[in-house]
Amino acid sequence: MSSIERDTPVQAPADERETRQYWRSVDRLLESPPVAEANALEAAAQAGRTPEFPEGADLPPDEVSRRTMMGLMGASFAMAGLAGCRRPVEHIMPYVDSPETTIPGVPKFYATTMPVGTDSYGLVVESHEGRPTKIEGNELHPASQGAATVWAQASVLNLYDPDRSPYPLHQSEEGGDDHGGDDHGEGGYESTPGRSSWEEFEAFWTTHAESLGDGAGLAVLTRGSSSPTIDRLRTEFLTRFPSARWTVYDAVGDANVFRGVEMAAGGAYRPVYHLDKARVIVTLDADILHTESDAVRNAKGFAASRQLDNGEPSNRLYSVEPGWTATGGTADHRLRVRRGDVPGFAAALARALGVSAPAGDAPAHVQDKVQKIAADLQSAGSGALVVAGRTQDPGVHAVALAINQALGSMGTTVTLHDAGPASYGSDADVTALVDGVDDGSIQTLVIVGGNPAYDGPRDVRLDKAIRKVPTSIHLSSFVDETSRHATWHLNGTHFLEAWGDAQGADGTLSVVQPLIAPLFNGRSDIELVNLLTTGAHRSGAELVRETWNAALGLDEKGWRRILHDGLATEPAPAPAAATIGDVSGVEYPEAPAADGMEVTIDVSRSAWDGRFSNNAWMQELPDPTTKVTWDNAALVSHATAEALDVERGDVLLLTLNNGKVEAPVFVVPGHADGTIGLSLGYGRSVGRASKGVGYNASRVRSAASPWYGTAVQVRKTGRSHELVQTQEHWDMEGRHHVEETTLASFREHPEEFNHKINHHKLPREKSHQLFEYVDYSQGHQWGMAIDLTTCTGCNACIIACQSENNIPVVGKEQVRRGREMHWLRVDRYFVTGHGVTGHGHGDGHNGNGHGDAGHGDAGHNGDHSHGASAADEAEMVFQPIPCMHCENAPCEQVCPVAATAHDDEGLNHMIYNRCIGTRYCSNNCPYKVRRFNFFNYTVETPEIAKIAANPDVTVRSRGVMEKCSFCVQRLTDAKIAAKAEDPHAMVADGDVQTACQQTCPTGAISFGNINDAESMVSKDKAKDRNYTLLDVLNNWPRTSFLAKVRNPHPDWTA
Amino acid sequence: MPQIFKPWVNRVPLMILAGVAAGGLLVPAFVWYYFSPEYTDVGYQPEQPIPFSHALHAGELEMDCRYCHAQVEKAAVASVPTSKMCNNCHSLVLRDSPQLAALRDSLANNEPVPWVRVHKVPQYAFFDHGVHVRGGVGCQSCHGDIRSMEVVTLEEPLSMGWCLECHRNPDMHIRSLDEITDTTWEPPSDQVQLAANFIEERNLQPPEDCSGCHR
Repeated sequence: MSSIERDTPVQAPADERETRQYWRSVDRLLESPPVAEANALEAAAQAGRTPEFPEGADLPPDEVSRRTMMGLMGASFAMAGLAGCRRPVEHIMPYVDSPETTIPGVPKFYATTMPVGTDSYGLVVESHEGRPTKIEGNELHPASQGAATVWAQASVLNLYDPDRSPYPLHQSEEGGDDHGGDDHGEGGYESTPGRSSWEEFEAFWTTHAESLGDGAGLAVLTRGSSSPTIDRLRTEFLTRFPSARWTVYDAVGDANVFRGVEMAAGGAYRPVYHLDKARVIVTLDADILHTESDAVRNAKGFAASRQLDNGEPSNRLYSVEPGWTATGGTADHRLRVRRGDVPGFAAALARALGVSAPAGDAPAHVQDKVQKIAADLQSAGSGALVVAGRTQDPGVHAVALAINQALGSMGTTVTLHDAGPASYGSDADVTALVDGVDDGSIQTLVIVGGNPAYDGPRDVRLDKAIRKVPTSIHLSSFVDETSRHATWHLNGTHFLEAWGDAQGADGTLSVVQPLIAPLFNGRSDIELVNLLTTGAHRSGAELVRETWNAALGLDEKGWRRILHDGLATEPAPAPAAATIGDVSGVEYPEAPAADGMEVTIDVSRSAWDGRFSNNAWMQELPDPTTKVTWDNAALVSHATAEALDVERGDVLLLTLNNGKVEAPVFVVPGHADGTIGLSLGYGRSVGRASKGVGYNASRVRSAASPWYGTAVQVRKTGRSHELVQTQEHWDMEGRHHVEETTLASFREHPEEFNHKINHHKLPREKSHQLFEYVDYSQGHQWGMAIDLTTCTGCNACIIACQSENNIPVVGKEQVRRGREMHWLRVDRYFVTGHGVTGHGHGDGHNGNGHGDAGHGDAGHNGDHSHGASAADEAEMVFQPIPCMHCENAPCEQVCPVAATAHDDEGLNHMIYNRCIGTRYCSNNCPYKVRRFNFFNYTVETPEIAKIAANPDVTVRSRGVMEKCSFCVQRLTDAKIAAKAEDPHAMVADGDVQTACQQTCPTGAISFGNINDAESMVSKDKAKDRNYTLLDVLNNWPRTSFLAKVRNPHPDWTA
Repeated sequence: MPQIFKPWVNRVPLMILAGVAAGGLLVPAFVWYYFSPEYTDVGYQPEQPIPFSHALHAGELEMDCRYCHAQVEKAAVASVPTSKMCNNCHSLVLRDSPQLAALRDSLANNEPVPWVRVHKVPQYAFFDHGVHVRGGVGCQSCHGDIRSMEVVTLEEPLSMGWCLECHRNPDMHIRSLDEITDTTWEPPSDQVQLAANFIEERNLQPPEDCSGCHR
């Protein structure tokens, strides 16, 4: 048996669950330890067991030796001694003139919109005395519905990025020095060469525009957008400069989607998916729940149709993809297929459903599944949904739409809406632009946003064009790779500082409303485009208002209403009347060689396309499926790693499209064989958090085929790079943390399943407690339930928690030592063995587990379930772990100073000012949710980033423990608000939400008063699939989990 | 051979023992008293940028506390008045007084008057004025007889133990809401009964758990 079934100090009683294995990495499964832990493991192996902690967990980081530590501490003790004699003078700074309706200390909330390319998310932003601190979703916005993505939430830190550019730069001679884009401290700008101002640029442009005539030598390069104002100003610009060129380039954009819909429907439309009406969903390389456009709407819909407890039919999700995504990890069935093989799969699926499709066939190893999926889709009829991802060629989108049309689901699960102002790029345009610069026909290039010198393709050299063109003007919030080569760098705004607008996929018009005046005196993209056209500066507020007045005919009251709501509710979005034509003749990619190697390039689940790479929260945010932080890696399956003869950390040199990139290997069980997965957004040369982290995948990208390439040469460099993860620390000690079953068996025997997952629990009696029994039957008693079925592992809760609770970032070295500070983590397990879904075994024994007890199949522990091939057939499950708030809490029983204690509402809270840092509590916590401040992590936070902190939560210092508080500041505020209305009132259910709960795109987290039988959380906890972690320990956690219920195809393996 | 140790030396160990015992009592007693906020903080009376007199404004002129501290019933912070609010009167009264130079500077330069904080709880403790005032705890309970102070002085230690004394037994501080700003209020003879009624009526549950104030 493997290491995870050893005898351990405390272990769930041996029972039927053993047939299914949960593991975190293939190294664990195969008993080959991660490189970094090899030595320690070896030593420990001689002593008879693996160590509990990773090597060096008790050591300070290398940068600070013990000696300097003592020196520093000595110095601060001396200072403290002197400073302690006097009371520090503190000032109160009242307003000179109070802004209307502002009450100091009471936050205000404003609606705005975050545009990401053509995608847009409606947001509500919390503002404390004028500074935005916390971003939430806007409940009124149909693409947000109250939830927000990780990127939307983390963008508040981008606003306060100390590396932002404070003024324009002008470089008179071409190819001059770099404009100190990095490490400029406060005051350092004074000496920056080329410092200029917007006034100087305006003067320059006025004379320059005259020399441009009708704009024959002028080109604008911008990113895709769905802003009506940009669209209007673009028209005005092209009227003023009729011969000018307007080019769109997106490193990550939906061009394939737009083009595919146009192929199938013959017009400019955007698709909207209604997963809430879907019964059977097939995603073709589409991470619809996380990284694709409209992900929050999709996730909300997915959760709505994932009905488990009311007897309604539940949806079934099939995912066809090359590398793990949140969608693939959530899917009931996942087929790992190279990106180049997905078109063939789509064509085969179409033909199986009687749709005439272009040539192509599914790869051999999944061919038998095509008919099954087709039949399932057929049975779902108008509840079927086939979605292709943005990484797939337009032809695949056309075929997917044709399938939906044939199944009758067009208009039900997919609707098409007029694209309106949405713009997207094409490789032909970009090539023409670069050619224009090369032959000298373009003399002036204005780059409005974006960073093409960094994220431009390798075979169409935008970076060279920017260097070559005589006059280049770049608007950007940072002095980045592009600014360094531009003759003019103009400092831009963050969306929280600027006016703008966006049109959602369904046509919803929403407004981008600034929360704060530009911190660095930047100007927005719309202000720049207007300046280019008219030569004069006008504020974004006027420009946006003008567009909206023209479109909707608003009076002042109507406009105020829109600013309040963040969007125009009238006219209600309506689908366009579009029909899907014949797609058999569409341009279609050819299948690559069956044994060839391909490289896929995806958006980073942390840094996106690089615009979040200098965001420390996002750098430290573990990837949802690999759990790697502070790096991007080359992901390969176990079989591919063996074929290439590489291990985790080995650096590969990949040559593709005449570009080279060196990337460290990370072996992911379940990655498609023959695919190397790269991600964008890293390898930056500027930024204090991003510089030198990871590799830049755009160096091997082609303009025509940006998402994958096959003509790749792979060479080993012989070097190794350490990748750090947040989940490989510590040991599971063979315990099962995830409970799961299938829908069919759960519906049949819910009580049996309940018994199976709960029968170890001891009755809640005084005799079972070492400490005084506390009666929690009165008042508010807070509890949480987390539904593992709808958790997609998207990490939104982690960033919500980090933003709400002032959680520090610790850096790669500290994460390596297991010192990350996230109060809430999302554990990701791989699952193999006797499957709930019958993976790897042909017996079709889709039992919920109890039927599998003592299964006598001698082969089931053989090489099949332990070998690499079994590992590569793994399923995935996500489990968010906040503090469990145990009623009988082990941490409290060992604290020598009572710095962690219970209150009468059942919260286990941490009192920072009392904590002396023994870490006993953390050692005694069976869930490992306590985080220790080994250093004063916040002390080096740049002054400007400090104002992103939530003033309602204490900022912790070195030497204290911290952990999830169930957002006690929100609970207190809610209780105060309830009692202010009526002294005897309780907090009504739903009036208080924890940060994680509020932002969860699938609503997987419920929280509230468990004494109120009608509260959401009480209803969740009353469900048969409710269980608590490690119940044998008699901890009585307040946080419980709802077991994962898969809905597999009834005869998938038959 | 002369005696090196005189007979009194025999008493030295006893004296040392007595000294240690006395020290062992005295040092904690010293720390207990002199290191406590009761000793270190009470009486704090910093110089303010404007020599504002509560005795004049709130005492003699009988201005309501809430004219300036307008948010005290609604928000966690009582809010120190804006410069414009001072100017509501002082644009007419004492326009050119040298004592009000800081106010005029503030208005002219649009910069706040840097008042020095007198009443302060640590950053990790979250005090809410609104909750206390709505519950019937008067200004006086924490700020003393501020209506008679020429210069604001810290009268109470504002230490955790002091907070908890009242949270455990608030009877002597709860009063009818129209007496909140009376800083010379004395508990009436039937205070215990009155307090019990108020506590019942306003459903007061002063928290004694850590999470009541620490987040």
